[in-house]
Amino acid sequence: MTSLEVRLRALGHELELPAEPDLTAAILEQLEGRRPFPWRRAGALALALVAIAVGAAFAVPQARTAILRFFHIGGETIIRVETLPPAVERAQAGGFGMPVSRPEAEHTLGFRLMLPPFHGSGPDRVYVLGDSVGTVILRSHGRPVLLSEFSSAGEMGLKKLTVNQSSVQWVRVDGRDAIWIRGTHTLTYFDRQLGFREQTIRIRGNVLVWTRGRLTLRLEGSVTRTQAIALARTID
Amino acid sequence: MRTHQGIAFRTAYVLTGSAADAEEAAQDGFVKAYRALGRFRRGAPLRPWLLRIVANEARNRRRSAARRERLSLRAAAEARPGDAVPSPEAALLSRESHEQLLAAVERLSDEHRKAIACRYFLDLSEDETAAALHVRRGTVKSRLSRALERLREELEGEL
Repeated sequence: MTSLEVRLRALGHELELPAEPDLTAAILEQLEGRRPFPWRRAGALALALVAIAVGAAFAVPQARTAILRFFHIGGETIIRVETLPPAVERAQAGGFGMPVSRPEAEHTLGFRLMLPPFHGSGPDRVYVLGDSVGTVILRSHGRPVLLSEFSSAGEMGLKKLTVNQSSVQWVRVDGRDAIWIRGTHTLTYFDRQLGFREQTIRIRGNVLVWTRGRLTLRLEGSVTRTQAIALARTID
Repeated sequence: MRTHQGIAFRTAYVLTGSAADAEEAAQDGFVKAYRALGRFRRGAPLRPWLLRIVANEARNRRRSAARRERLSLRAAAEARPGDAVPSPEAALLSRESHEQLLAAVERLSDEHRKAIACRYFLDLSEDETAAALHVRRGTVKSRLSRALERLREELEGEL
């Protein structure tokens, strides 16, 4: 070994590397969280949901492409397809809805919003899309993160994400199933105020979807899976 | 799993330049390795196989726009257990020497820097370095040779 190689080895011992996390618990949770396709566990109910989703997907001309796989959680169905349908950026699609106060939002939505602990009285405004989806802007690790909530029940809660090259995986939030989506994908929602028209928007951040009670919750932003799950655990 | 999680995390960190991405890459790599155990060739060394899977996860996470965390030296005052206490002059010289070398490594091309980091900083074998970088062993040798040559040129007069 040359003197330079000896110096490089010695340098390696002097480097400040980040503390090594204990991955055991997270790995075991992921392995235990693995579950078969919905229809194998939930039988007829899941089959019905899948049928709804297939119908919805093929109802959109642009979405007539090979469907590769389904995931379903709460009021959200995630469909992996070969190619993404045309989509517009969020600003063009009308943003997140109308900004209103929290009491007004909860009155319109018909449920109490679940939020992380806030200093003070909480968010100044809640964006309400139609009368079914409430969104607030949080900050996590110095970055804005969107928290959206909607009822898991009923057709109006049905939203679908079409994913192409993105990664979709089952994870756990407080011991319950959740879905983590990494990478660009599209989101289609039904807007009753626009006469049941569909809007398809492009999502560039990562997304965590989980359920709490009768609500489906969704975090979206440039955060890692670990950061998103940690934030999700504080939301109540 | 505990035996290898440290080296898996450090390898992912060298490849992604992000502690958060490295944690997830190592975690997902272990999960994928566990599920792929049936395809693991009996008698083959486990560590290169595992590092290849973790490194693949790390590459998938490497976002071109993301800023890489630069490698840095430990705080000067921090002595590791069992270290002999050097004289203040020797400690200062040693630190300056480390800083110059580290700066030269940081100026290398991405593929040369990663080869140096895997082989010397993480102390991976040539086979493990090849697995982590997803290249042949011969490529590792040639990259290391060129990287060392480049470092010698940069540090000429200091060695």
